[in-house]
Amino acid sequence: MQILAQLIVSGIAVGMIYGVIAFGYQLTFATSKTLNFGQGEALMLGSLVGLTVVAFTGYWLMLPVVLAFGLLQGAVVERLGVRQAIKTKSESGWIMATIALGIIFKNLAENIWGRDAMKFPSPLPEAPLSFAGVNVLPMEIVIVIGAIGMMLLVELFNRRSIFGKAVVATANDREAAGLMGINTSLVITFSYALSSMTAAFAGVLVAPVTLTGASMGSALGLKAFAVAIIGGLSSGFGVVVGGLILGITETLTGYYLSTGYKDVPGLVLLLLVLSFKPSGLFGRASIKKV
Amino acid sequence: MRFATTLLALAASTALAATAVAQQPIKVGLSGPFTGGSASMGVSMRDGVKLAVGEINKAGGVLGRQIVLVERDDEARNELGVQIAQELINKEQVAATLGYINTGVSLASQRFYEEAEIPVLNNVATGTAIATQFKAPEYKYNYIFRTSANDAIQSGMIAEEAVARHGFKKPAILADSTNYGQLGREDLEKALAARGVKPVAEEKFNIGDTDMTSQLLRAKQAGADVILTYAIGPELAQIANGMAKLGWKLPMIGSWTLSMATFIDNAGPNGDGALMPETFIQAPTTPKRTAFIAAYQAAYKVDRIPSPVSAAQGYDSVYLLAAAITQAKSTDGAKIRAALENLQTKVEGVVTTYDHPFTATDHEAITANIPVFGVVKAGRVVVAHAEDLAGDKALRVKAKN
Amino acid sequence: MSINTLLKLLGIAALLVFPFVFTSPYYLHLVTVIAIYSIVTLGLDVVFGYTGEVSLGHSALFGIGAYTAGVFAFQLGWGFLPALPVGILIAALFGAILALPALRVTGPYLAMVTLAFSTIVQILINEMTFLTNGPMGIALRLPLFVDLREWSETIPIFDMSLARLRNVEFYYVVIVALLLTLVVISRLLASRYGRAFEALRDSPIASDCMAVGVYKHKVLAFVISAGFAGLAGVLFAYSEQYIAPNNFSFDLSITFLLAVTMGGRKSRVGPILGAAILVFLPNLLADIELFRIIAGTIAAVAVIAGGISMLRNPETRLRTAVPVALCAGFFVFSLLLEKITDYKLTVFGMMILFVVYYLPDGIFGFIRPIIGHIGGHIRPDLARARVETEVRGNDAHAWVENAPRVAAGRPLLQVDQVVMQFGGLRALDRVDLAVMPGTIHGLIGPNGSGKSTMMNVLTGIYTPTEGKVVFEGEAITGHKPPDIAGRGIARTFQNVQLFGELTLIENVMVGLHHTYAGSVADVTVASPRARREEAAARVRAASLLGFVGLEALANEEARNLPYGKQRMLEIARALALDPKLLLLDEPAAGLTAPNIRELMDIIRKIRDHGVTLILIEHHMDVVMSVCDIVTVLDFGQKIAEGRPAEVQADERVITAYLGGSNAAAA
Repeated sequence: MQILAQLIVSGIAVGMIYGVIAFGYQLTFATSKTLNFGQGEALMLGSLVGLTVVAFTGYWLMLPVVLAFGLLQGAVVERLGVRQAIKTKSESGWIMATIALGIIFKNLAENIWGRDAMKFPSPLPEAPLSFAGVNVLPMEIVIVIGAIGMMLLVELFNRRSIFGKAVVATANDREAAGLMGINTSLVITFSYALSSMTAAFAGVLVAPVTLTGASMGSALGLKAFAVAIIGGLSSGFGVVVGGLILGITETLTGYYLSTGYKDVPGLVLLLLVLSFKPSGLFGRASIKKV
Repeated sequence: MRFATTLLALAASTALAATAVAQQPIKVGLSGPFTGGSASMGVSMRDGVKLAVGEINKAGGVLGRQIVLVERDDEARNELGVQIAQELINKEQVAATLGYINTGVSLASQRFYEEAEIPVLNNVATGTAIATQFKAPEYKYNYIFRTSANDAIQSGMIAEEAVARHGFKKPAILADSTNYGQLGREDLEKALAARGVKPVAEEKFNIGDTDMTSQLLRAKQAGADVILTYAIGPELAQIANGMAKLGWKLPMIGSWTLSMATFIDNAGPNGDGALMPETFIQAPTTPKRTAFIAAYQAAYKVDRIPSPVSAAQGYDSVYLLAAAITQAKSTDGAKIRAALENLQTKVEGVVTTYDHPFTATDHEAITANIPVFGVVKAGRVVVAHAEDLAGDKALRVKAKN
Repeated sequence: MSINTLLKLLGIAALLVFPFVFTSPYYLHLVTVIAIYSIVTLGLDVVFGYTGEVSLGHSALFGIGAYTAGVFAFQLGWGFLPALPVGILIAALFGAILALPALRVTGPYLAMVTLAFSTIVQILINEMTFLTNGPMGIALRLPLFVDLREWSETIPIFDMSLARLRNVEFYYVVIVALLLTLVVISRLLASRYGRAFEALRDSPIASDCMAVGVYKHKVLAFVISAGFAGLAGVLFAYSEQYIAPNNFSFDLSITFLLAVTMGGRKSRVGPILGAAILVFLPNLLADIELFRIIAGTIAAVAVIAGGISMLRNPETRLRTAVPVALCAGFFVFSLLLEKITDYKLTVFGMMILFVVYYLPDGIFGFIRPIIGHIGGHIRPDLARARVETEVRGNDAHAWVENAPRVAAGRPLLQVDQVVMQFGGLRALDRVDLAVMPGTIHGLIGPNGSGKSTMMNVLTGIYTPTEGKVVFEGEAITGHKPPDIAGRGIARTFQNVQLFGELTLIENVMVGLHHTYAGSVADVTVASPRARREEAAARVRAASLLGFVGLEALANEEARNLPYGKQRMLEIARALALDPKLLLLDEPAAGLTAPNIRELMDIIRKIRDHGVTLILIEHHMDVVMSVCDIVTVLDFGQKIAEGRPAEVQADERVITAYLGGSNAAAA
């Protein structure tokens, strides 16, 4: 029982790491029907920039710097990689361009920060807290709270601020929003900026637990992609649930089945979900209009 | 029309590649991962090799000719390693090739050297099969040599340390799912079995995994009393940190990769006490080592060598090759191989002094008596058992063949 | 002999003599690997370029082929020849296993599904040590097909050592495989299957409504593509002589996609060019001198090409200047760069970006017009990428007898109490409809009254919430669009749904998909049946184009047509289905007055050929003059039905049209 609880708690922590990254996929997909396949690299850059800044400012003061950097980086990705493809309606265009940008960012990071994984100083004590024999790191609790908090803030922003409403309008119907005088291409740029900002934030949030380095983004970005798809690309809530499902499935299969096949049930689950619900668990299936 | 242009494009693109380069100096190939996950080992190896080549060239080269390195990044990809091997052999026409960090790349690539009769000195990869891939009687000559401690040696030492020295009876093996981890795990099982011990748990994880809870809990439930590892730095650090998280601290003993900076830095205090067999520890225990460390630090402006083992083995491999070429008085592959198998000069290296390191049937320069156990202490690897270096033991030499 | 065949023969000759010109095994191996990767990328192009789906699973399919060869050799001691067909079959089988569930989703969802598949396959190869030898990998030996060593005296054309003989023989095997791949893929893509692949990318809904099942054809494209990946995998295992699980990580899939994108999609040259770049790139980026030479050449070409283009089109000067400046900048960058290995991935990434930005059709898409231009001086038709048809249509071939099977006096189509509910919105509310054979049945109503919803219900795009649709006495409620289309219900679309990148005649030929009986096998061997059917379809298509007055534009791409003509093309395409019932959704929208008269003529002629029509239209004069009977919908309910004149006088209809729907409801 205690072991099961421990596995679930660890699964939740891992799942929220995936979820918070996956949230970024959902943001850009909503407005532009495109994804940043370099989302993992956005996370990695945020985390490495954070690592450089943290030495001067300490953890909490570093956050705004990283958030600003994330906004900027996302805007750059959209301008360089996505805008052209959206203009020419080229599906492969944005996929290739964001992958290419991801490759470039990773290579640049290797040259700037080196090729090794590095330790990210934890703002909280690294001794585990114990609740009835279930151990959890303070930073893992911060990840869960931070992830949910950030998602709530973004949702609140979208619902309350006028700019957020423009985002929602663009997400619902880009053409109509454009006709209503909303600068949809600016909204898309903004959603990319926001998406990379959440990734950068996720980067500094998870770095004390996952280590930091040029290659940290690849594996996490992929897992997060799976989570976004399980949850459904059109649902913020789905991302949380998807993350929890994948995280917990991983730790449970790892323990009860075999650590060698740890990743398989999660992926099989993904295939099952999609064969019954082609837009993910919480995704809305759009009505075909002819 | 399309089809025709297709064929033309194909033909034209091949002609493009045909640019021959005349050679005056001695060309030596260098293949290793200089980008990606195992790049820190690759780069340290490359820097060690370059240091040695620089020294030799400064002193007048070999046979009066300068050594020129042809560096290629194999990205730890097997198929790229094969392509590079073909290029180095047929286009660059190297006299020999140094390198290989990844066992898979090595196994995939070196058959082409074997066919072309050009020697390869593996200086980091440890897969046991590497040096015996082309053994007699199927192959008349084996062109593959090695200057690193292979997995059989390392796992033997790990088992010996765990079972005999520390008296652990219930080891758990944690290995990554790459061929490095899995081949090492097999060797480790054999080594344990030879000492009458069966691991109570054998767990896997992938490169990039950040959570080791399931693996560690399984080991814990099985009642493990020691963790034996075969993986690389970042994931090893996650194991150490994961144990700290679970409040369950077991000694870690594992392959030489526990000395990687990525383990030591990222595990921090959680990694203290980890034990690993090392051919070289960054400590000035012999004059040659002192000189090497100083030269490396000066050349690359670092205090701590990222992967000291890779750097030292890479450095030594150059001197062994140079000695063989000098003795062969030729850059012909077969003659170099013959010279390596019967090296008359003693080569004073960083790891050891090589006195007849190879024979026709034995292509391993490192034997089980050479590596010593290192232990992680306050962010550095130091010698674990002081008696290993007591007196003249600092320089450990392969027994005469 | 045409230039075309001459170039082909030259190319084949170049490949044949290659091993004797470049005797180094290095170049032989390079070309072998390029050819193997080309087989994968050519196959991938069928899925990626033609059907427009992104697959990240091709590394796994490639790996399955390779491991078939590996396991055969390792476990059974079987050699190359048995592995070859089995490898293709097993990869195709896995392709089907993946495609059947996966291709229900599209876009990023499909990318993820294929990614999941390739991850699972890689884990399985790694874990199933008893079968695959796990992480240790499998070593294979190159086979010797024919031992020519005894002949070295008689034909002393090259050094016949055992190793060399093996390499050269294998080279020829791979080249033959590549040539066969090219032939098969070219034939497939030029056939009805190729047209179906492109059609379903441009408009999945229209494809379904042309009885070209989108799902079925996507699966077919995927399975074909998987077979080629398997073939390449077997060849790869033997060319490398060692395979291990880490050879086949999903990164390789991305590399294949990049190769197709860079080389140029939807062509035969592009994927091969991409494969060549893929193989050469590490070499190119390893040698700084070579890299500078290439960067310099590219810059020079860009400056010359840009210069010419600027002279020709001065107004686009700025847009041309940017890529030229980038190429020049790239050259400067190459001069500044000291250590290329460290930055090679950055260079690679920048190359992809450049291609995505400035060469959306890839490198071959860029050079094709240039080659065409040069070739055009010799033979003008070389400038065109597509096969032009010289077929003349005639009225005799336009129509095929297809009388409806209904008893006299019975309706051809009967709609019974149909309800269509979208969330809280009831788009159709218990609507009855009976369409008699041989009539033109008008369906009118204000915007949002449910006319188009009715069209979508009739063609199976929507499944009604309640009620029944009966066609020729059989219930078709809940049937899928391709099935309903196959029964003889054709339609046009309110928002034109043409296959934009196909020519006019090809658009119509997609509609003729049902007239073929030949299978994929027929197409690949170019059987007499396949050729006969294709020729017949061409004549029919030309005849149908002639019927709507578009014959002169047969070889134009549909997206280049003016709006009015697009509507006409849709009608011709729908007629290709040999429909018993034709649904026209606002065919007169956007047409000029003379065009409308022409349209009315056409509609009547269609009826005269025995086709029943349902006509949705806002132009009342059209409705009133051609329709035999008119049904009026408002807010999802049928409010009137009768002869045009009766309906026109109906009180409720007038209220509905003139506003005040409350009054109508009251």
